[in-house]
Amino acid sequence: MRAALHRPLPTSAGPRRARRAVALTAVGALALAGCGAGSRTGNENAAEVECAVEVSEPTTVNVLAYNSSAIDPFTDTMVNSCTQGDLTVEHEPIDFAGQVQRTTATLAGDEGTYDVIETYGYIIPQLGTEGSLQPLNEYVDQFGEEYGLGELNAGMLEAMTYEGDLYALPMQAQMFVMAYRADVFEEQGLEPPTTFAELKEVSQALQDSGEFQYPLALPWLASGDLATAYDAALGSLGVDYVDPETKTPNFDDPLAVTALEELKSLTPFMDPQVTTFDQPAVQQQMYNGDAAMAIMFSGRMSDLTVESNTEFAADFAFAPPPTVGDSGPQYSALSVDGWSIPTNTTVDPAVLFEVIASSVSQEASEASVPAAYPARDGVVTPDSGPYAEAAIDAIDNAPPAEPFPWTAPIANETLPVVAEVILGQTTPEEGAARMQEIATGVLAQY
Amino acid sequence: MRRREYAFLVAPSVIVMFGLLVIPLVRTVQWSFQQVRYGQPGTFVGLDNYRSALTDPRFASAVVFTVVVTVAVVTVLVVGGYVLAVLVNGLVKVKPLVLGLLLVPYVVPGLIGGTMFGWLFNSNFGGIVNQVIAFFGLPEVLWFTSTWANRGLVAGAVIWGLLPFAMLVILAGLQSVPAELLEAARVDGAGTLRTHWSVIAPSIRGVVGFVTLISIMDVLRLFDQLIPLSPQAVQIGNESLVLYIYNRAFLDGGQQLGLGSAMNVLLIGLIVVMLLPFIRSTAREGRS
Repeated sequence: MRAALHRPLPTSAGPRRARRAVALTAVGALALAGCGAGSRTGNENAAEVECAVEVSEPTTVNVLAYNSSAIDPFTDTMVNSCTQGDLTVEHEPIDFAGQVQRTTATLAGDEGTYDVIETYGYIIPQLGTEGSLQPLNEYVDQFGEEYGLGELNAGMLEAMTYEGDLYALPMQAQMFVMAYRADVFEEQGLEPPTTFAELKEVSQALQDSGEFQYPLALPWLASGDLATAYDAALGSLGVDYVDPETKTPNFDDPLAVTALEELKSLTPFMDPQVTTFDQPAVQQQMYNGDAAMAIMFSGRMSDLTVESNTEFAADFAFAPPPTVGDSGPQYSALSVDGWSIPTNTTVDPAVLFEVIASSVSQEASEASVPAAYPARDGVVTPDSGPYAEAAIDAIDNAPPAEPFPWTAPIANETLPVVAEVILGQTTPEEGAARMQEIATGVLAQY
Repeated sequence: MRRREYAFLVAPSVIVMFGLLVIPLVRTVQWSFQQVRYGQPGTFVGLDNYRSALTDPRFASAVVFTVVVTVAVVTVLVVGGYVLAVLVNGLVKVKPLVLGLLLVPYVVPGLIGGTMFGWLFNSNFGGIVNQVIAFFGLPEVLWFTSTWANRGLVAGAVIWGLLPFAMLVILAGLQSVPAELLEAARVDGAGTLRTHWSVIAPSIRGVVGFVTLISIMDVLRLFDQLIPLSPQAVQIGNESLVLYIYNRAFLDGGQQLGLGSAMNVLLIGLIVVMLLPFIRSTAREGRS
């Protein structure tokens, strides 16, 4: 009986060699997909800083923060410097989408999984309204001098404040920056574009040169980044999602349609599958030399200058992003990242505050440059790194933020419509009308 | 074995099954009639969640997509698994090596496998398939944004991941076919195809049924591969039921646990309907 298990079935279909070849071909086809992946280098910008936090009993602090070359320096500093004595600081790698999911889950119950969470200005009003985060004002008063918190940028502190309460200690800001191939621009006699009209002219010239089929790379992932792109375009035209005075949406403004039209007008110069590209995919386009220009958050720029990532590292130059119209704010979004303390943590908030305060110290902030644009005034100068000058210009000319609890829900709810417009499934006029309807529904809850 | 001994021995399994299957199922049904957020007691909303799901065109689209993909993929899995098992069964010296290599895609997690599979079609990461298409002067295929191309890509990734399992189980079935039966067929003058069709396939009908059953369950829960391979699934109509549930209930920090539970109940119903013929035939075989 056992011998039968190893006995081949008798067949008369050709020689064994042919069957072996077919079987091995199948194996080869299945194994082939393991070839050709790219990789990213690790972050080495963590600092060892003073973290004189004392605890009376063994304490573990769990940190929720997504991984990127701009966030990692602060997270790593916190973990490396504050894990001492009875205090252990732990952080597991996670992507941004995962962080969003876990933030919702950990803040929901009476007890959460995380004691420190990475937040951003966009979401602060919503979480502040829900009462999910601890106001930090009293701790700033208590520890401000010890940790030099007076040198944190006032605008970034403001971005983390809602109705007078500070809900996060800002660590760094990100804004859109344009990366472009200086060698190609010089060769073609081109200047970095300052308006969308120029952006299209430059893109056309690069396309006509035959060197680039799709010279422009933007992160327009239909399930995420595209909402930020539309917000940036609308903001550049001087329009907010909502009029905060009347609490009515502004998608019935003709400029809301213009913003959609302007975004759509860039599609001939981008990969036809641009609506599937997130920021890492856009970075990859630039690494490969497939695109000559990209506009992304500044936190993604540092990777472009790393020689092990791309042969074009030395060829990249940086500029502020263009404006959508002839003037006004740039096509940009200012995102301030910071550390928050959930109200449902069981760890002493004062201990947690000292942990987060140490991660944004002068020393830690300096170590994060050039990967990040830290929240401390004066740390970033035009000489701080290859894209520092562009970032300083961009941070001054970004559209103002909309610090209201309805901003994030409206962005999420209207995103599918923006995607439909870009994909040509809906006209900009129809899209704007539907977005007005959706936003009105969202605002009814506030 | 005495009844008491039997009860004592099966009790741990029953307790675990009750804890891991029955309680969550009961809770899912309960939540499907409530509006539920994390960490808060639910509010009874009657059939609102079911109404919300059943009146959403996206739900209907997801059901159709899921059923069509399941039928197509499972057919390929069973036929391909059988052919591959026959080929592997014919090997002698290299059989362990070939089996080992064939099983690699099966042990790789779906999300990772899907990502790796996607690199074959993604020009950003080499895109070997795209290079071959370009080499022959064929038009560019938009694997990630064209509805049918993307369906092919997703189906390919699922087949790539599950084919080893189908092959392995069918291989075990092939090796259990009595040699006397095959010898008799040969003596009666049956050719290869006739032998497979009239002798071997009927002999391993139970195994094929089992592979079909498991494959249907696996493919109906399609989710992992869609994340890397179909980032635009909603817009191009390639949203599976499980992805639809995730998108409606959890995406961007959503907390529609009641709605998600109602959709899960509907999904369980669909799975039962699709598996019913196989469950009945398996039960019949068990009785006989």
